[in-house]
Amino acid sequence: MTAIDTPLPGTSDRFPMIKIVSIAIITFVVVSPLFLLAVASLKPDRFQILAEMGSFKAFWVDNPTLQNYRDILTFSGNQPFARYLTNSMIVLVFTLAGGMAFNSMAAFVLAWGRIPGRAIILTAMIGLYIVPQESIVLSLLNIVNSVGLADSFSAQILPFWASPLYVFLLYQFFSQVPRDLYDAAIVDGASPFQIYWKVFMPISLPALATVAILLGIETWNQYLWPLLVTQSNYARPISVGIAGFFGADSIYWNLAMAASVMMMIPVLVLYLMFQKWFVSSVISSGVKG
Amino acid sequence: MTYPRFRLSAGLSAGALIAAFAAFTAPATAADLKMMFQGDPYEVDAIGAAAKAFEAANPGTSIELIHTPHDSYNEKIGAAVSAHQLPDIVELDAPFLSNYVWSGFLQPIDGLIDKKLLDDMTPSNISQGTYPPDKKLYATSLVDSTVVLYASKKQLESLKIRIPKGVDDAWTGEEFKAILKRLSTAPGVKWPIDIFRGYGTKTEWIPYAYEPLLISSGCDLINRDTWKASGRLDGKACVDAAAMMAEWVKNGWVVPQSAGTNQFYAQGRPAALAWGGHWFYSEAVKAMGDDLIVLPLPKFGDKAASPNGTWIYAISKDSADPQLAGKFLSFMIQDPAFQKAHRDHSGFPGLKSFGAASPLYAPGGPMAVAFEQAAKTAVPRPPHPAYPAISLATQTAFTNILDGADPQADLTKAAAAIDADIEDNDGYPPFGGK
Repeated sequence: MTAIDTPLPGTSDRFPMIKIVSIAIITFVVVSPLFLLAVASLKPDRFQILAEMGSFKAFWVDNPTLQNYRDILTFSGNQPFARYLTNSMIVLVFTLAGGMAFNSMAAFVLAWGRIPGRAIILTAMIGLYIVPQESIVLSLLNIVNSVGLADSFSAQILPFWASPLYVFLLYQFFSQVPRDLYDAAIVDGASPFQIYWKVFMPISLPALATVAILLGIETWNQYLWPLLVTQSNYARPISVGIAGFFGADSIYWNLAMAASVMMMIPVLVLYLMFQKWFVSSVISSGVKG
Repeated sequence: MTYPRFRLSAGLSAGALIAAFAAFTAPATAADLKMMFQGDPYEVDAIGAAAKAFEAANPGTSIELIHTPHDSYNEKIGAAVSAHQLPDIVELDAPFLSNYVWSGFLQPIDGLIDKKLLDDMTPSNISQGTYPPDKKLYATSLVDSTVVLYASKKQLESLKIRIPKGVDDAWTGEEFKAILKRLSTAPGVKWPIDIFRGYGTKTEWIPYAYEPLLISSGCDLINRDTWKASGRLDGKACVDAAAMMAEWVKNGWVVPQSAGTNQFYAQGRPAALAWGGHWFYSEAVKAMGDDLIVLPLPKFGDKAASPNGTWIYAISKDSADPQLAGKFLSFMIQDPAFQKAHRDHSGFPGLKSFGAASPLYAPGGPMAVAFEQAAKTAVPRPPHPAYPAISLATQTAFTNILDGADPQADLTKAAAAIDADIEDNDGYPPFGGK
């Protein structure tokens, strides 16, 4: 028996059927809405989706078609979903690149740099974390408008390069690295940036993966800020694009379902890529995503 | 450690990142005219096509369309107001017009849009775009709206329930209650009526669709002479009307919020009647075909009433080029392709010519009764700057009452909240009260 097969203390395999049934129920509860989403995205008629909702027919499609996907995946037109998807990817990539760099560098300096008032800075940062985005959104909008960044990618990227949560998360991880490692790098003649880049970053992959996933999901699902800051399709992301299928008088369920499936895929890929590190880091750091 | 190579690669990487960032992240270019709007995908397409046609007809002119999802439109407008960046043309929900004009955000459009368009607007369309204190027109639209009753012809005939022939022949309150009771025991009927609680608890649907029931019962959301809600919204007529609706819910006659908005035409037709907007027709007819019939709203008291008002286009006070904005609005609303898109989606006519050219609403058409009802019984929601407070208080009160709260207590609370808002704003001068 491998370590992973060893029952946790206080548990036993005395009721395997109960376990199996419980897991099956939980799986059904989690998977059925996603299955319904996927099935509905293959139905071309929004009225049919509504009429069948609430019955078992909602989980079945007689004549599956990819028409909804063909309809939305365009770069032109007034609701160019392919463009929204591309815009979201651009925002995601640059936010992740900048966010990982800024947050990790700030955390490294806080953990190992000789800076006066470190405790005060840390306390202030934790204090900043509890300020909800909604409360500063109008001030931020005014700043973005006044520097001429309205309706741009920059407006969606720059404000999210620094986050108190991720700085603190990485600070916690960096500050637990043994002092000997740092001292050895100094003796080796490494500069502070080289110690950060060549010593601390490679050994911090679980923490970095956690930050990447959390920041990635947060960026991907952003709604209020891109809604306010984008005016046209030029930089509009997918989250705001999907909401366009919910009209004043009716909801275009067929297109919204196909769009939702498309929106889910990158997050799923991101999670599956970093899943191993993410789980281990969440367990070790106690972070709730 | 190879420091120079490391520095070089780090420098190059950073340079490439900054270059790519700069290339991807430049702001979008500016336009001559900006228009903020919401709407269904077909409206987005229709407005986009109209803008392109206008640009082609007026070389050198560019229009920036700011489409915002319907559910988030108010947040977007609020942010634009805070940032002093309202675009030239703003689409807004008609009952909020007085609030926008009172706040100084809009300018009259009488002299900015085509005389031909002005003359073509239906009385209801004019009423939804007019600010009562100065009686000037601040907004216009191709369309308007109403609420009717939907039913199955076969079902009513099989149960020997009288089918009204027109607005003058509408069911009375007593008759309607008897019909709901009859339907509650009819085979296959799970709920006698859907009043679309599924649209949600914080939704304009509540004051929009339920106010006619109050007005027809002899009351209103507010006294339109004194602009006081206390004594009117919490008066006996309104309390009785709200209690009547609560009784329908208590009897299990109303489709619950959790059942969604498709129970009227879903498989097996669990709901027999639907108290729905004109836009519901295109959904229901797809499933029910010729069996679908459209009926006027019941007449609960001495007079019949129906709602009106929809999303209308106004020109902001700070517009850099109001003449151009008026020219584009006139062009768009009279554009044949724009009108066709709305006609294809059962758009409720706000222009006389559009009504005559819409087979759905023309005499003999399946929705003719809706157009007749609008002409005879439409009552706009209170055209007062306090409407946001009126709407919110009504939404809260009716949600609570239909969930079992005491009608008198909740309507009194709602009336007090409305009056407090008006008092806080010194009566919204020049409104005041008689």
